[in-house]
Amino acid sequence: MPMNASPDVDAALSGSSIAGQAASIGASIQAKGLTKVYGSGQDAFHALGPIDLDIKPGEFVSLIGPSGCGKSTTLLLVSGLQPHSGGTVEVDGQKLTKPISEVGIVFQDHLLLDFRTAMKNVMLQQEIRGLDKQTMRERADMLFDRLGLKGAENRYPAQLSGGMRQRVSIARALVHNPSMLLMDEPFGALDAITRTQIRHDLEMLWLETRKTVLFITHSIEEAVGLSDRVLVMSKSPGTIVEEIRIDLPRPRPAHLGEYPEFAKYAQRIYEIFAKLGVYKF
Amino acid sequence: MSDSTSSTIQTMPGAANRSSGKLSALRNSAVGSILIAVFSVAVLLGLWEAFAIYYKVPAWLVPKPSDFLARLVTDADKIFYHALATSRTLLNGFALAILIAVPLALLITSVGALRRGLYPVIVFLNIMPKTVIGPILIIWFGIGPMVAALIVFLMCFFPILVDAMSGFGAIDKRLLYISRSMGANRWQTFWKIELPDAMPHIFSGMKIGIVKAIEGVIIAEFIASNSGLGFMIMQASGFMDMTLMFAGLIAAALVALVFNGGMSIVERILMPWKTT
Repeated sequence: MPMNASPDVDAALSGSSIAGQAASIGASIQAKGLTKVYGSGQDAFHALGPIDLDIKPGEFVSLIGPSGCGKSTTLLLVSGLQPHSGGTVEVDGQKLTKPISEVGIVFQDHLLLDFRTAMKNVMLQQEIRGLDKQTMRERADMLFDRLGLKGAENRYPAQLSGGMRQRVSIARALVHNPSMLLMDEPFGALDAITRTQIRHDLEMLWLETRKTVLFITHSIEEAVGLSDRVLVMSKSPGTIVEEIRIDLPRPRPAHLGEYPEFAKYAQRIYEIFAKLGVYKF
Repeated sequence: MSDSTSSTIQTMPGAANRSSGKLSALRNSAVGSILIAVFSVAVLLGLWEAFAIYYKVPAWLVPKPSDFLARLVTDADKIFYHALATSRTLLNGFALAILIAVPLALLITSVGALRRGLYPVIVFLNIMPKTVIGPILIIWFGIGPMVAALIVFLMCFFPILVDAMSGFGAIDKRLLYISRSMGANRWQTFWKIELPDAMPHIFSGMKIGIVKAIEGVIIAEFIASNSGLGFMIMQASGFMDMTLMFAGLIAAALVALVFNGGMSIVERILMPWKTT
């Protein structure tokens, strides 16, 4: 199995334009006693928490838990897209009061715009943010190259496969060089083969760029296959019941199941789910 | 160039033959169906002509095709003037409907209270026959193309409004999250995301709208205008000028044809991903 990317490989890669111009290292995310309650009074629905998060710059953290446990809500709170009901969230030490823009988001559905070609979908970031067109185009070209999208620039989403669309969606989330990448079950709608490949491609891209990633998933294999840390959540209202540090070398192999170290981590998560009553065997 | 070679390599030779065969069959059938249409219309008009001559039907009762087709040429200036007036009225009413219905639909869908409050009103106005407003509008604005345009507006406003509302309502909330994370302001969100995303819905509303508008414009000109094909036909009716009425009818059909064709062109421009 390959070893951890060494520091000088890191340094060499961060010099490439994908890692971007100086400023963009990963953001840190801190949350304390974070809760979300939808509605009020009789209809109030306690969706999440309280949870604490402490995500270091450049860390890859997965949230795993049963459906409806508040994983997606966590993502919306951390990005400031939904106001939290209690507790605090800080990104890079700044308390969140409004949506942060130093972020790229990928959802389960690609959410590309039908009426824009793949490249124009990615360049929407440039148009709306008013960034320099040429620099952004160069970054987009680079991302298309890394994500295996060469030749798909002028195709409309309807002309792309599900995996390709999701790759375009990842390029859109990264083109403006954000410090944080939020992914909500990004591979959930893909077939197993595509999923394994795109997982690997994402890992390689992350090794180059070291964005902070908060990755939400149902899949134990994805969580263990990608993360530095996995946070396991309970059923609704979700709280974090266990934190598992994944000490496996990177890049991680495709057929994880054959490695006993991997199986050990997966087993631990299964056991936690069984204890929580997520699985009943 | 390289694209086409790679695609022929990928597809099997049999498949390529079959698809090109299909293409030529399509071309044949398109040309064929036009020929058949032209031929059958010619036969129909010929029979009409023959019967009218044989039974000596007077022109003031049922004019011969040769009579009213000739009027299209001899009265070309007059007919063209009125056809242009009709087109202008139609376009004004239709454009006004789009300009008001689309933003209003966005407003209604984004404000929950408005949606609940206005929906019954919209449904009521939608089912109300629009031409009944004609006499009221005449009192307010006097007889003229403006009143006809307003009636056209009313006829196509509601289909566009209702479809635009369902279009804006169908936008995925998470897409708006993405646009907010980009820091998009209200205008950018509308112009770059919501409007094009709702466009297929809006366009199907426009398609229904244009049909209603074409129907409505002639009726509106019957009752409330002093120019346009509807007015010309009404005037010809006053003089028992049957051949001009038939010529007007054909001109109205041609105007409808032009607008329908225009819509397909607009569709291609607004929604390029549907055709490529």
